[in-house]
Amino acid sequence: MLRLGIAACAMAAFAGDFTFTIGSPVAAQDFRAKVAAFVFRTQGCADPAKSQISATAEGLVKGVRRSVALKVEAMPKPGVYAVYQNWPADGHWVVNLKGTCNEANAGAIVPIGPKGFVRESSKFFPRPATNIEIEASLKALAQSENKGENK
Amino acid sequence: MVDLSGRELSTEIVESCRLGDRDAFRALYDLYKDRVYSISLHFFHGDPAVASDVTQQVFLKLMTSIRQFRGDAEFSTWLYRLVVNACMDAARSRKTQSAISDPSRMEAFPAPGSQEEDYVRAQMANSVRAAVSALPPKFRIAVLLRYFDDLSYEQMAQALHCSVGTVASRLSRGHKILAERLKGAAGIKG
Amino acid sequence: MLTRFTRHISRQLAAHLDGQLVQPQAQQAEMHLRECARCRTEREQVRRGMQIIEHLSLVEAPAALWPSIEAAIQENRSRQAPTVLLWRWAVAATLLLALAGAAYWRFAHPSGTRWEVVRLAGSPSGGGKPIRGAGRIGAGEWIETDATSRATVKVGEIGSVEIAPGTRVRVVTARPGEHRLALARGEIRAKISAPPKLFFVDTAAGTAVDLGCEYALSTDERGFGLLRVTKGWVSFQWGGMESLVPAGASCRTRPQSAPGIPYFEDAPESLKQALESFGFEKSGGDALGVILSESRVRDTLTLWHLLSRVDAADRGRVFDRIAALTPVPAGVSREQALKLDPQTLDRWREELAWTW
Repeated sequence: MLRLGIAACAMAAFAGDFTFTIGSPVAAQDFRAKVAAFVFRTQGCADPAKSQISATAEGLVKGVRRSVALKVEAMPKPGVYAVYQNWPADGHWVVNLKGTCNEANAGAIVPIGPKGFVRESSKFFPRPATNIEIEASLKALAQSENKGENK
Repeated sequence: MVDLSGRELSTEIVESCRLGDRDAFRALYDLYKDRVYSISLHFFHGDPAVASDVTQQVFLKLMTSIRQFRGDAEFSTWLYRLVVNACMDAARSRKTQSAISDPSRMEAFPAPGSQEEDYVRAQMANSVRAAVSALPPKFRIAVLLRYFDDLSYEQMAQALHCSVGTVASRLSRGHKILAERLKGAAGIKG
Repeated sequence: MLTRFTRHISRQLAAHLDGQLVQPQAQQAEMHLRECARCRTEREQVRRGMQIIEHLSLVEAPAALWPSIEAAIQENRSRQAPTVLLWRWAVAATLLLALAGAAYWRFAHPSGTRWEVVRLAGSPSGGGKPIRGAGRIGAGEWIETDATSRATVKVGEIGSVEIAPGTRVRVVTARPGEHRLALARGEIRAKISAPPKLFFVDTAAGTAVDLGCEYALSTDERGFGLLRVTKGWVSFQWGGMESLVPAGASCRTRPQSAPGIPYFEDAPESLKQALESFGFEKSGGDALGVILSESRVRDTLTLWHLLSRVDAADRGRVFDRIAALTPVPAGVSREQALKLDPQTLDRWREELAWTW
């Protein structure tokens, strides 16, 4: 997994909670995010220099589980990152975000649908997501996409 | 049909070019185009538009002045003199760098499907490109000339219009600056 | 007797590493290095620099280069006397110099850059001439398609624009630092891969400023049209006013009027219809009420733009609706927002963008 060290301060919107917020590329306000799958920011990190962020794409391709390390690029605005699609077009995929800030942890599962990331189905945790949670998200994503195909 | 083996440029091709043989010129172009383009691209901070223009200019100039090539020097030396002149002239005429020329921005458009190793490699290349771009032009062209072709220092001196000692000095200083700038960069041992 | 260099050999280190020092200098350098820690350190730095440069790769020259060189030669050849039968480059020195001069001029004056135009269907024209396969077009020249023709334009090295049927568009500027089209009527679809503010499209209703994106822009000759963004985001500007249109959103354009209010395409139909009837006038009434009541969190894109378009008396309603949908960030006060304080609005937009 890719790890990034962050030297700048992240804005703390939720005092005491280290969390992720996800958004469309426009939220990064930087053209480098234009082709990103989505962007995210960290909040609540008191010591950003020691925070570490990683991301993987977790997928189900023809019934086979796959995992792909992702490129996460720090944006000029401190605490903001862009995730670029590094996973194949076929299959069902979610992005698994993990972060640590001193002793605090944060995690997120961001499903990726045909039109991009699915904000409503994204899940956030005060710890890394478990494999069971990732599997559940993949399953839910596959079911919702299959229903869409059958309409 | 002109035979061309490896990187050696036969006098036959040069002679055919001087007589206006299109196939010979195409062979010459094919032999050198990527090196000329790469030197131009990395000299101009990864700007493909400028690199294409410079490359085109070099080969047009080559075509128009090949009759002046007397064969008293290596052809590649003569060609790279054109490259050096074109790059330095273009650098002087460009007042500001285009925004697109920031090498760090080239990595904003990754190829789908690349794996972590490719990403790390790409990041290193990006850092190196940026460091090369930041070199003073005289050091930059010397470093690129040395890297992209197997010229001797004497040949480089002719291409760069300077003495062998100056070539050695620019290469020493240029590479040292690169090492200092990228000290501790990920994937580059400090 | 062989003596070592007594002075530091910093400037010879590259030559030493490349084996380019001749004897006896090579041996003298070796002797010096054995005794001089500073030069040994510098040698390692130079060696490292030489390793570093190996991360650069040879890049293949674009395939289009050779045809453009050929074309430049062919252009001159076509002006030669008819008795020249074979494609020979034993041309007059003046023609060749003119060619080299033209090529240099084109480089020194990049506004002379010509973009490649490719026919996709039918009979498009470029620069007043029919485009049969591919052609080139420069600043000041028009590209026109009829009802059955389409074309694509390669915009320098930053992307491409597809010209839909029934379109008339002119190349205004074709420079590395500025790529500008003027869309008189019809539709174009742009796919741009470049830093922002390198690609612009002027219409009678305003200018689409690329901020890194893919979008479709259509207009009639009066300037009524639609901007639809599929990737990235676009700023549509007129008269000092701006609409920011992100991916998944659209924005109506209208001549001699502020840019339309952007809306997401998946917004409730009732909201979109109300926005249509709300139009571009600063009025509230039923339309505003519907927009406010039907808006979702994501529609704060529309609401944020509405703040500066509604009457002052209605701004409070818009503010309150946004605040009900998503928390107002620190640094944004109701008072300042209702005054349309630029810093406040920018701060708010930065935060709202995370919901768009």
